[in-house]
Amino acid sequence: MLFSSLLLGALHAMVPLTMTATGEILSERAGVVNIGLEGILLLSAFGAVVGAEAGGPLAGLVVGLGVGAILGLIHGVIAVYFRGDQIISGVGINILALGLVAIGIVWQWGVAGFHQVDRALRIPHLVTPLGSMSPMVIVTVLLAALTYYLIHHTNLGLQIQAVGENPAAADAAGVRVERVRLFGAVYAGALAGLAGAYLSIDWLATITRNLPAGRGFIALATVVFSRLNPFLAVVGGLIFGFFDGLGLLASTSREITQVVPYQFIQMLPYVVTLLVVTGVIGRARFPAASGQPYRRE
Amino acid sequence: MPGSSVPRTGAPGQRPGPPAGPVQSDTWLEMRGITKVYPDGTRALDKVDLAAAKGEIHGLLGENGAGKSTLMKILSGILPMTSGRILIGGREIALRNTNDALAHGIGMVHQHYSLVPTFTALDNILLGRGAPLSGPARSAARARIKRLMDDTGLYVPLDVPIEQLPIGTRQRAEILKTLDRNVSLLILDEPTAVLTPQETEQLFQVLRTLSRGGTTIILITHKLPEVLALTHRVTVLRHGRVVGTRPTAGATAQDLARMMVGAERLPAVKERRPQAIVEPVLRVAELTVLGDGGTPAVRNVTFEVSRGEIFAIAGVTGNGQTELIEALTGLRPAASGYAYLLGQPITGVNPRKLYEMGLAHIPEDRHRLGMVAQLSIMENSILGVHFQPRFRRAMPGTLHWGRVRKYARDVVRRFNVITPSLRTPMRSLSGGNQQKLVVGRELSKSPALVVAGQPTRGLDVAAAATIRDLLMDMRNEGRAVLLVSADLDEVLALADRIAVMYEGEIRAVLERGQFDRERIGLLMGGVGDGPAAG
Amino acid sequence: MDPRPGDDQAAESSGAADRRRVVRDAAGTAGQVLLAAALGLIIGAVLMEIAGYDWTRAYQGLWLGAFGDPWSVADTLASATPLILTGLAFGLCFRAGYFNIGGQGQMTVGALAAVVVGAYIPVPTPVAVFLVLLAAGAAGAVWSLTPAFLKATRGVHEVISTIMFNWIAFYLALYLAFYSLNDPQSAERTVRVLPGVRLAPLLAGADATAAIFIAAGIALALYWLLWHTPWGYEMRVAGLNPSALRYAGASPVWTINWTFMLAGMAAGIAGATQIIGRPPTYALYGDLSNLGDLGFDGIAVALIGRNHPIGIIASAVFFGALGSGARMMQIMAGVPLDMVRIVHGVIIIALAAPEVWSIIAKSLVRRRAARTEPVSAQAPNSPARR
Repeated sequence: MLFSSLLLGALHAMVPLTMTATGEILSERAGVVNIGLEGILLLSAFGAVVGAEAGGPLAGLVVGLGVGAILGLIHGVIAVYFRGDQIISGVGINILALGLVAIGIVWQWGVAGFHQVDRALRIPHLVTPLGSMSPMVIVTVLLAALTYYLIHHTNLGLQIQAVGENPAAADAAGVRVERVRLFGAVYAGALAGLAGAYLSIDWLATITRNLPAGRGFIALATVVFSRLNPFLAVVGGLIFGFFDGLGLLASTSREITQVVPYQFIQMLPYVVTLLVVTGVIGRARFPAASGQPYRRE
Repeated sequence: MPGSSVPRTGAPGQRPGPPAGPVQSDTWLEMRGITKVYPDGTRALDKVDLAAAKGEIHGLLGENGAGKSTLMKILSGILPMTSGRILIGGREIALRNTNDALAHGIGMVHQHYSLVPTFTALDNILLGRGAPLSGPARSAARARIKRLMDDTGLYVPLDVPIEQLPIGTRQRAEILKTLDRNVSLLILDEPTAVLTPQETEQLFQVLRTLSRGGTTIILITHKLPEVLALTHRVTVLRHGRVVGTRPTAGATAQDLARMMVGAERLPAVKERRPQAIVEPVLRVAELTVLGDGGTPAVRNVTFEVSRGEIFAIAGVTGNGQTELIEALTGLRPAASGYAYLLGQPITGVNPRKLYEMGLAHIPEDRHRLGMVAQLSIMENSILGVHFQPRFRRAMPGTLHWGRVRKYARDVVRRFNVITPSLRTPMRSLSGGNQQKLVVGRELSKSPALVVAGQPTRGLDVAAAATIRDLLMDMRNEGRAVLLVSADLDEVLALADRIAVMYEGEIRAVLERGQFDRERIGLLMGGVGDGPAAG
Repeated sequence: MDPRPGDDQAAESSGAADRRRVVRDAAGTAGQVLLAAALGLIIGAVLMEIAGYDWTRAYQGLWLGAFGDPWSVADTLASATPLILTGLAFGLCFRAGYFNIGGQGQMTVGALAAVVVGAYIPVPTPVAVFLVLLAAGAAGAVWSLTPAFLKATRGVHEVISTIMFNWIAFYLALYLAFYSLNDPQSAERTVRVLPGVRLAPLLAGADATAAIFIAAGIALALYWLLWHTPWGYEMRVAGLNPSALRYAGASPVWTINWTFMLAGMAAGIAGATQIIGRPPTYALYGDLSNLGDLGFDGIAVALIGRNHPIGIIASAVFFGALGSGARMMQIMAGVPLDMVRIVHGVIIIALAAPEVWSIIAKSLVRRRAARTEPVSAQAPNSPARR
């Protein structure tokens, strides 16, 4: 019983981390780094609730995805076409999202800071031997596989790798560097958007201004852990997710919080992330032109 | 796709020697009044005209910065032109990007950067062609490229990452990549810069074969012998303008050189004054240094550099020269062996300490090491010596900008750095002036040993001459100079002794008087003589 | 390269040319920032219009709340105080080429240290204030040096590690504020610091204290460090070209450690100013609400202040004005406080792409130049961007 709820917890906590990381892997392969994922998660989580309340869970997912894609597009345009600083742009997205969502919650529901999502609007769950499981768990793994295939077995994937490693060479070979990079940025935004929708209208079933709680950054750590391999992002997501899920589970259990204060349990995923990233980083090789704008002469 | 296909003639290299007979003179490619003004106002090309016939090998000659590469980047769709027209077979074409150029059969082999290092040769060739990464279509593509290799004699291992292949092989992959696009106009940008003389001759044979098959070739170069050996006609550019176009037959190297640099500015080196005292300043013994990959890049190297001597290390770039310099200047640890500067060990010593011991280091890659592009001339003039007491106030060690300014002004004046002001950011200067400041800063240390890595690479003729003279001055003043240069002419002009480096070893040390261009060329290519001690 | 006439004199008369250049560069930067700020305010107005607020009244309130009377000005300065310091924590690291997103956590542990030292260690007053600042700075430095160490030794990206440290600090502070430092008389806050270390208001009834001078003094000191000492010179070289730093004989590991240590100290002292420098509480709230997001806001402050200590002071005052004005904006037009955060975000995104601005500037210059003189044929090397 404890085992299955721990496993389910890990699977459910894996979803936002792995899905966000998967998109970011493709984007970083193409040379665009987005540290605004946290903000994208937040704003799309908000958008998804608004969408779901207007048109049901599916509409919520679509709105979340769309909001994420738009933010990814903004970041991509700044990074690719204006050759802006990707880190600064990402920081800006995080701050902007925080402001928009904080105000949005007030405007939309007239409450400050917290809105519960109606059970009926949540994505219907599957019944499994472990218990009720979100279909998004499966979607996440499928997306990871799809992304892997896209990067390593398609012509677009070859172009993505080329513009990340050596954009000048790709350009000379006739690859449209800007478009491929922009695709990467939008793809990362869209997947983070879907993950944000999952946070608000599925897993946590609330919207607050702190909903992602650093998961956008843990997703970045997952990207580092994965060495840009989507399958390893699933593994990384499960490891980080296990402790995230554990924290959520433990902090609601009186027996545990009487022994260990819940603050320390809540701290766990962050400590684990730090330890894992410290342990594994070693010789991870990132695309040579990652994070750098490309200009012709 | 318009344009003829790649020639499928027999094996290459059957007819080496002088250029193939006269080509039909009817113009096929025409560039008219090409002008390029960069957004910052730089006028790189000014109303340039260029014409070539089918099957012609056309040389494009000029100094660094004459506009050769810019012109060809426009022709291959990489850069947009400001104004002008490009015609192929009498029809005007528009080139918005490289795909447009390739669609018109125009392909360019770049000097650097056009292969993805982590990709295999096959992936590099197929990049941008829309071929899938697996399945029967890929097998078909592989077979096609194999055929192309047979036809041209350009053999390349297809499944090894490019970064693991030698430079010459990478270039063959690069040419294959372009030919696979069915180009009828092949542009090569300084293709021999990184090749040994032997590899160069192989390349020329391939180009002659292609030319006989009807491919038009434009060869960008600044080497006169290549132009004379290979081309039918040659166009000379200077400062973004056409000086003239000549048939190669009947032109002499002197003519072309005069057109290229202007008559009165042929570079010459200062007088070499005899040095009486022989006294080693730098002693290197059995030094082995690891490269970035963890394998030895410098193997068991031994030599001495005396005061009043220019000791030059010749060799094709990438044979351990960079790692050797880094090990001698405190930037890379030595794996084994010793190096002494005036009797003091210097391996593993902090660069700042080395500078105090009398080392000046003109780095190979000045943009990466020797300067900070965004900082001012003033700030760059103290890079590396910024901790010295002469630039500091007594009060807790703060910088005395008044003194720095005076010092910078002195360097700027003595080394003729042309700059609007001392606060101008380094990046606003021309390459020659940047290098003059770096060299000036280093030589102002009154060093015992000057380590100069590729000190004139990428500079215009005048700046290069100035810097060569300064190195000769250093020698004549009785200092030791260790010169590492891939420019054989420079090495031959300056050196008192030449060591040839190949695959991390010093293959031979030659005294001035026994310099032999051909022997050095062979040594650079790994032919003849074993490891030698100097 | 032809020497142009006048070059010989150039070096001589460079003093005047240099001054002109400095002024022109500073004006250009200020112009960019002002344009971005205007854009932020315009988008804010558009959003308010869409949402049905009276944005003219809102901005009126913003102005009155920020600068309407001496107390408002004091409020603005009080809000600016911690932002100067957290801005420096980000800006200093940025100058050296690192992204210290951990100002929030560094500030949080600084505040904890200030509570502990300020409440429990009775020493003579002036020494006590100094000790509180020192303890807060030291705590912040511990929190920033660990990510620096992980970066230097293990290559852990500082964005990830500092964020994790923020969350660890957050839960640590929640725990300590609730279990260890809690005031038996008040459930909602920790014990208050001893009266001796409480900085008095500069104006009766206002929030501003001498802490603003501490913050401004630290900013000036860091300015001095960056531009007038060899260590600061090395930090700037590190940020612009790390390879050149090694060539210059400096140690990258030392540079990153020094930089993060100073940054952590600044953020830690920011935490202290929220304890000993904000009347009337002089304690840490159990929900950490008097720390808010000041650490994160410091990032925005630094970016808008162009990571220059003097720019950061100006930018912090601008942020402080938005912060103190926002309350009046809420009262007068009903606009939620977080509106100003949207303005922050827009400004930063606009500043992320300086090229847009230089394209605009260049097209203006070119249009003017086309009227007066032909463009120079001088060929500057195109710089490699970091």
